[in-house]
Parts: sequence; C-alpha cells; structure tokens
Amino acid sequence: MADTASPRSEPSAGAAGRGAALARFLAAASGARACEISGLATLSGGAIQENWGIDAHFSGGVLAGEQRLVLRMAGATGVPSSLDRVQEFAVLRAAFAAGVTVPEPLFASADPAVCGKPFFIMRRASGIAAAHRITRDPALDPVLPQIAEQLGRELARIHTIRAPRADLDFLRSFEASGPAPQIAGFRAYLDTHPAPRPILEWGLRWLETHLPPPAEPVLCHHDFRTGNYLLDAGKLTGILDWEFAGWGDLHEDIGWFCSKGWRFARLDREAGGIADRAPFYHGYESESGRRIDLQQAHFWEVLASVRWAVIALQQGDRHRLGGERSLDLALTGRRAGECELEILMLLDPGGAPGNA
Amino acid sequence: MRDLPEAPALLALARDVLVNDLLPLLPPERQLDARLVANCLAIAEREAAADAGAAEEIRRELEGLYRADCPSPSSPDMIRRSAGPSLCPPGGERVGVRGETPTSSADRLVDPLRRFARELRIGGFENSPERAVLARAILWRLTIAKLRLANPRFLAANGFL
Repeated sequence: MADTASPRSEPSAGAAGRGAALARFLAAASGARACEISGLATLSGGAIQENWGIDAHFSGGVLAGEQRLVLRMAGATGVPSSLDRVQEFAVLRAAFAAGVTVPEPLFASADPAVCGKPFFIMRRASGIAAAHRITRDPALDPVLPQIAEQLGRELARIHTIRAPRADLDFLRSFEASGPAPQIAGFRAYLDTHPAPRPILEWGLRWLETHLPPPAEPVLCHHDFRTGNYLLDAGKLTGILDWEFAGWGDLHEDIGWFCSKGWRFARLDREAGGIADRAPFYHGYESESGRRIDLQQAHFWEVLASVRWAVIALQQGDRHRLGGERSLDLALTGRRAGECELEILMLLDPGGAPGNA
Repeated sequence: MRDLPEAPALLALARDVLVNDLLPLLPPERQLDARLVANCLAIAEREAAADAGAAEEIRRELEGLYRADCPSPSSPDMIRRSAGPSLCPPGGERVGVRGETPTSSADRLVDPLRRFARELRIGGFENSPERAVLARAILWRLTIAKLRLANPRFLAANGFL
C-alpha cells in the first residue's frame, strides 16, 4: 500500500494531458509565475491509492526552484473505511504540525477539472518502503533496532493529537470505530461471505468477551506498519499512507505494528519484522511518558489478526466479485488462513498439535 | 477416467517451465507477476493432489462434537443458556445432511462448518470444558489442513511441519 520514490514507468500520453492542468494548478497554489513539469510518472506501491511522482520547476512563489513532489489520489477502486484525499491531507497536516516525520503536505483540491478526482500534493520523501526488502536486507540489520525505537517515538507523537479538533471533525468518533463496532462490522462482513470462518468467529467471540476498558481516544494511524514508512540509507524519512487514520485506542496502532501479518520475511522480529518489541516499546514509552499496557496490546494484536484476515478476504472479493482481474488480489484472499493460525497461536498456544 | 499425466503432475510441470525457463526471459517489471502465477499453480497442484482425508476427519470430529441428544427445536438462546449436550443446531438437524447432496468432502464440510461457526459466535461451547477443548482441536486441525494447501511454507515458519 505504500509508495517508493522510484518511478515505475515512463510518463504516458495521459500523464502529458494531466500535466498541463496540474502545472496550472501548482503555479496558482504556490503563487508561482509559472510551473513547468519535467517528469510525471506513477510510483510503485499503492494498492488502493494512486501516487504520481512530479518533477517540476517553479518560477517564483513558495516553491521557487526545482521540486520533487507526489500527487496522491484515489485508485480505480476504494475501500469503504478509507478517508478521501482531502481528508487525508488534513490528517497529514496535523501529523506534520505535531512533529511526525512525514512528507510535508502542500496543497489539496477536490476540483475534478485538474486530475479528474480529488487529490493532494506533498513533497516527495526519498527511500524505500518495500517491506520484503527492509526485512531481508542484512545491510540494514544493524540500524533496524534504532529504527524501531524511532518508530515508537513517531507513533507517540501521532498519539499526541487528541479530539476535539475542528480540522479533523470528519473523523469518526471513537464510539463509532472502537472495538465493539469493529467486531460488529467484521461479523456483518462474515455474514456476507460464502465460506464459513469458524476461527474468525472464535477470535471475535474472544474479543467480544475481553473488551478493554474505554480508552481516551487519540489519533491512530490505523495502518502503522512496516511497508508504510520510508527508509533512506538507514534513516527514517517518512510515515506514509494515512488514509485509514481515525480516533482510537493507542494500543490499536501498537498491536497492528507488532501483528505477525506485518513481519514479512522475519516472523521472529516481533516489532514489524525489524526488531524485538523492546526498542519499539521503549521509544513509545520514552516519548509519550506512558506505559504500554501489555494486556491491551495483546487484545489489539488479536484484533489486528482478525482485521487482517477480513481485509484479505475483502481483497479477494475485489477480484472475485468486484471485477478487478488481479492475481495479487486473488492470492491475498487466500492469506486469511495465515491470520487464523496466528489467532490460534495467540489465544490457544497450549492447544497446538504437538503440545497436546 | 483420465489420461496421464494427471493434474498435479501437469501443474508441477507447468510451474517448473514457468519458473526455470520463462521467468528469466521476462523483463524485471513482469517477473513478480510470473512469480504470482507460479504461486497459483503451486496451490492448485497441492489442492489437486490432496485426498479427502483431512476434510473427512474434520467432519467426523464435528460429528463427535455434536454427538449428543438434540432436542428439537433449539433456538440460539437455548444454545447460549445450555450447559452442555444441547449444542446441536437450531432445528436439531444432523451434521452434513441439510439441503442438496454434497458433491465432495470439502462440500460436505461446508454446512457443518457453518453451524460450527454460528455456535462459536454465540459462545456455544463455553459452558462445557470438554467440548471447548474438542472445538479448539477442530479449529487447529482445520487451520493447519488449509495452510498445508495454501501456504505450507508459512506453516513451517511457525513451527508446524
């Protein structure tokens, strides 16, 4: 779901047409006399959103000179819980203002005359987000514990953003997006799915009977994980993909980050496949001054596996029912079973065959 | 009656040709797609080669779980209140005999699994420690059986051989 900074393809004829309108928009938005776009190409990554790298020269205005930017807009199909791009821009601005390492958000527009749909523009951070590379590259191993600690600090900064916020008033309330509504939503989805999923039902029942006490809601990224941040030469250069942000329990982001579904090539490194939990937790606790409640983190990690499983099934649906011919989506739909194994391992470790 | 080679062998051959002969000829940006195709072929090969043993075993275990007097009818509320043996489905029907005649072991498993899922949702086994253990054993067996076909490497990476 994330971007990398490397263009994946050459500019297309469509891109050229889009470029003229975009150049006019960028010039007007930045107060430049003119904006000349020298490069416009899709960026790799982005299962749901479309990201375009822009190389441009601005004559005057707040961006005077050469700039490397990203245009982000909705892809061919969205997902129901995703923010629109203008809303995502507002969240990104709030995160930037809170000191989170993000590409600086610049302009947003809902005017369909520019790109055909709402979009926003941000600076282009350098680096790679590809999770399999990050978790596999032995050259990165020495710095990954520090990256995990920094990610803990970044997450703590995200969580300093609290409701009420007039600029974020479009976000769903925690009452509407907390664990109980999520459980209800997952069950409603399973009711529409043709194949019974007993393990998910069992996991959901456990969640329902182990709800944590009501939390003080914080801004949660809701997809804070390896694959959604950029590393450049061993340094963190940006937290990406804010489309699922909303009010939530701080432990929700922690559970999601540590969930096995996001460890990629290194299942043994429990903090995002990059390190032990200790540096990540330490970074979070040092920055926030709060202790992570391990029981609550466990609850949200179980919920993360259920959520991942449902997302996998929904991705499969996009292929199976939604008319998107995609091997990637079809195979993702087959991955729900991996999450189900994790649910069993989290909730019934003593019951595993071989232990019996 | 099928001629040789049968589906699993054909799929294995197709995958071998794809990975070893064709993939190196593809431009780098299309190689990921080829790997995804290879993954699909591998899943299809394992499913084509699988016998009905695992599905049948799970079905038998579900029958064992439900082998009890089934008062009819029993509502979900009754199931929730019940302390043990009345864990049969609403209507008291027997496992795997509802509706059309199933065509395969996997098909025959769908209805019992649907009932199992429904009862897990309402905590149907929570008042009987013995049944709870049985239910969890079925969940493990089901999960491992599915992953043996879908992703045996993930299973192995988690310590299940």
